[in-house]
Amino acid sequence: MMRLQTKLALFNLLSKLVFSALFIGFLPLITDRISTRQTDNELIDKREEVITLISEVGIEPFITDDTITGFGSYNILKEEFISLEKIDLSEDWNFIEVTQRLIDNETIDYRVLNYSLKIDGQTYLLEIGKSLSSMRYAAKNIRKVILIFLAFFILVTLLSDLLYTARVLRPLKVITRRLEATSSPSFHDSKQLRTTTKDFIQLDRTLREMMKKIEDLFRTEKEITVNISHELMTPVSVLRSKLENILLQKGLDHDVEAGIEESLRTLHRLKTLVNSLLTIARIESRQYMKEDSIRISELVREVTEELSPVAVDAGVEITLNCNDDFVFRNANRSLIFSMFYNVVNNAVKNTPRKGKIEIGGKWRDAIFEVSVIDTGKGMTQKQLDNLFSRFRTKLDPAGDSTGIGLAITKSIADFHDIAIRVLSEPGKGTEFFFFFP
Amino acid sequence: MNLLIVEDEKSLAKEIASYLSKENFLCDLAFTGKEASEKIAVNLYDFVLLDLGLPDYNGLDLIKEARKNGVDVSFIIITARGAVEDKVRGLDLGADDYLSKPFALVELQSRIMAVARRKFQITSPDITLGEFVLAIQARKILHNGEEVEITKKEFDLLHYLVMNHDKVLARHQLYEHIWGNALEDQYDSNFIDVHIKNLRKKLNVCAPTPWLETVRGVGYRISTDQ
Repeated sequence: MMRLQTKLALFNLLSKLVFSALFIGFLPLITDRISTRQTDNELIDKREEVITLISEVGIEPFITDDTITGFGSYNILKEEFISLEKIDLSEDWNFIEVTQRLIDNETIDYRVLNYSLKIDGQTYLLEIGKSLSSMRYAAKNIRKVILIFLAFFILVTLLSDLLYTARVLRPLKVITRRLEATSSPSFHDSKQLRTTTKDFIQLDRTLREMMKKIEDLFRTEKEITVNISHELMTPVSVLRSKLENILLQKGLDHDVEAGIEESLRTLHRLKTLVNSLLTIARIESRQYMKEDSIRISELVREVTEELSPVAVDAGVEITLNCNDDFVFRNANRSLIFSMFYNVVNNAVKNTPRKGKIEIGGKWRDAIFEVSVIDTGKGMTQKQLDNLFSRFRTKLDPAGDSTGIGLAITKSIADFHDIAIRVLSEPGKGTEFFFFFP
Repeated sequence: MNLLIVEDEKSLAKEIASYLSKENFLCDLAFTGKEASEKIAVNLYDFVLLDLGLPDYNGLDLIKEARKNGVDVSFIIITARGAVEDKVRGLDLGADDYLSKPFALVELQSRIMAVARRKFQITSPDITLGEFVLAIQARKILHNGEEVEITKKEFDLLHYLVMNHDKVLARHQLYEHIWGNALEDQYDSNFIDVHIKNLRKKLNVCAPTPWLETVRGVGYRISTDQ
């Protein structure tokens, strides 16, 4: 996994290195050629100088009389030499070659320019030489300069590449940040991106269009839940009011009264069921605000207090052990309350007389954890698997009433990124764990 | 008290009216938003029961209209939409209370009474129940001038039964009143029984409580004629 910017920079660096390696490989060849040419030009320049000199002062200063056949001059380090001698030649010479010369008992490789010139009917051979070692030295210097320049060039271009890609890729960062900050499509920052890169403009536009579509879908879903509740609840309301009015009539037979009450209870059950489903739908379409900061120890205490009369009546002992403090931010208080309430209530229902329920809250490895542990009848693996489904099968002997409470708990937990783990064994009790993000 | 019921479901409007009339309210009906808008502008009501889901009108606009025209009327919103935002928006616009469908008629009545007490600044008198006195304002129950310790929920239960004295209140009605709709999974709970049992236990230490009756198969009732 590598960032795009790094990848681009690495590729640039690599391609430059490959190119440089090739270049360095050919470098001796190139520098040799350059230095040979340079030397040849120098030699030719010197030849011209010598010819000019001879034409100005004549041949006499170099070769005074007929007894001396040649003239030679070289500098003390034997890097260069010039010689002039009489020679019999039928053709004109003008070429450069590499030959060995013996100077002061030392054999040295030279690059030598041979040139024949005719003065007063006598042919002279002019030789101008430059030692190969001095040429190589020059070539080495050239190579050094080139290498330093190359290193400098790679470094500078690498830096500028990094800076430029960072700049060009900034819109990508902006888009990512915006998406990360988006908790719901309706809160997406829909400002148009400022960039001159066509691809990013296109990406930004596509994303904004997608957000718009998702938002529309969410809105439709919201409207559906609103409509469902309206369509269902109004007739239920009519029925309920009618039955309640009948119940208020004086002198009703007790059986009739009880029958009507029974019907009202069924209606109430229908209402809570629809409300539960709507609650889940609303949580899932994120219609609840998350704006509260909740002190979990306080909330758990409230839940315990709320349920303790029923627990006492059922002969179940609840102990609360939540001393570590944790403030859960950006949450919905009433939802979190319901989340714990449903689980503790479930524990009370499923724990026989003289049973115990332990509620704990503590920090473990930088994660705050709330546990609800009961000594109730426990669950089989199959029951555990279906624990959070909206309607548990009625074949399930332990399945109470609708069992939708735990489904609500699960969707509330998901809504708040709280992880739930349940451990249970038949006859040994059930353990619920909530891990806060 | 004078009251307008704005509800497009005619049979529901009639049931509400039938109940409230027996409780000595003067009821008027409007089945559309337009009709309601006219009636509110012309007549002087103490209360408007407003259904938000009207076919021709956004119910909340009726509140805005009334507030703009300076009509002094208390709105109680009844809605099946049940969305929290609607509730908040309604209350922001100056509605006095909010009820979700389906509601109990006794609950509706006690909400109206609560708003009325606020509106007309009626202080509730203390109520005598056998040897006990229920001090509504102080939220206490006294026996021979001594406070009997009961929990907040137990007081709320007692208070609600007293407000609806001589009427049988079903367990689910009591449950709804005390816990609202927040806890959805409790239709089969024995919460109310437990609380009534605890309440009786606490009070019986001081004196018998024949006025708190159990109506078998239905619920509970407080009789004041004993």
